Amino acid sequence: MSRYIERFNAAERVLHWTVAISFFILVLTGLGLYARSFFGYFDFFGGPRQGILLHKVAGVLFAVSSLLLALAHFKEMFTFDEDDRLWMKNFGGYLSREKREIPQGKFNCGQKLFGIFSLASTVGMAASGLIIWDPTAFGRGLTQFSLMIHGFFFTLFIMGVIVHVYLATIGNPGTIDGMLYGRVRKSWAKMHAIKWYRKVVKD
Amino acid sequence: MARKAFLIDTTRCTACRSCQVACKQWNKLPAEGTVNRGSYENPPQLTPHLYNQVRFIESEKDGDLRWLFVNRRCMHCGDAGCIKVCPSAGALYRTEDGLVAFNQEKCIGCNYCVNGCPFDVPRYSGEKKVSKCHACTDRVGNGLQPSCVKACPTGTLQFGDRDRLIAAAKAKGKRIYGENDLQGLGVLYVLDDTPGTYELPEKPAIPASIFLWKDVIKPFGILGFWGAIGMAVLHYVTIGPKHLDNGDDHDTPEKGA
Repeated sequence: MSRYIERFNAAERVLHWTVAISFFILVLTGLGLYARSFFGYFDFFGGPRQGILLHKVAGVLFAVSSLLLALAHFKEMFTFDEDDRLWMKNFGGYLSREKREIPQGKFNCGQKLFGIFSLASTVGMAASGLIIWDPTAFGRGLTQFSLMIHGFFFTLFIMGVIVHVYLATIGNPGTIDGMLYGRVRKSWAKMHAIKWYRKVVKD
Repeated sequence: MARKAFLIDTTRCTACRSCQVACKQWNKLPAEGTVNRGSYENPPQLTPHLYNQVRFIESEKDGDLRWLFVNRRCMHCGDAGCIKVCPSAGALYRTEDGLVAFNQEKCIGCNYCVNGCPFDVPRYSGEKKVSKCHACTDRVGNGLQPSCVKACPTGTLQFGDRDRLIAAAKAKGKRIYGENDLQGLGVLYVLDDTPGTYELPEKPAIPASIFLWKDVIKPFGILGFWGAIGMAVLHYVTIGPKHLDNGDDHDTPEKGA
């Protein structure tokens, strides 16, 4: 009998990594505009003009793929139950070494919240990004406001992604297997997503 | 070095536009084709090839029509919005004399300064580089007057030590625009009426969104980035990861986790 259980199909994985790679291209090409101390990052892309151009291309790719990803999980993302309340009360059990029984579905409460956060930030980034695409196209006030909003959501997004990467890799060993190979160990599923595991086994 | 400034006494201006011509000559700026709009004001606004411009204002007061002239250009703000928003260090910079100059080789063409300027001054040239009045940095650095000042026949344009210009104008009982705005403007006006009459902002200021963006969100973002990494590392070594220690990969749904 297999030790593994299917978690993400190939299409879901490709979509996720499209979002992830375009995100990091956006960070690296955007840092030069974020603060003068990061201006040197443009050198990786052959100069500021090429960097900004790549930022725009990656921006479209990111916005589309991130929205598709959110759309694909829209219903799961916004469905919360009593166990999620328990998860929140215990901060997912992350603040203690003790093992706590917090039964979770395919996505735990934190993942669902990150999904909603990511959707909101994507919308904020994309909307403000479109306005500053050509900084002379809209009025001065709106352009300045959008530059501020773009920086604001970036700040939140990079912090959120650091937490996401930590928890999906070394913070919870075995988790990234799902996104790399599409399958997770059954012990992982029982520990992290018991309600999902029961459902899959029953089917 | 003491801060230098322009003092523009609009009450002396006859709108001969020697300043416009002299500027074009010194800075080797080409002439531009324009159309007759029924005004001597020409071109109608600052362009990439026009660093200073005499604005013609027709204004009625107490039944009298007044014809007012005001030389507009970069105001060389003490707290310059353009420098604040420019991502490329040195593209817009402050000279030793406290004036705001530019270096097109460092300009990346992002256009941020166009919106960041409270006076709507910076323009972009055909090569997509910033251009504006740079107070003839090359002349001033060699002890000369800016070319517009040199050419002005009426004494409307004066250039020199900022404090001394202010003191001299005050001694003559003149009211000065821009003495304290934006940490003191590098272009001071003597006006015959309210700033609004001359199409100047009453209280020029850098928008709150630029302050929030550059002075709040930017430092918070850098702090947040390292803070989040620090928290993750701290969590890893204190509470630690959730290891799969039971390693039970068999189907035992009834037993739970």
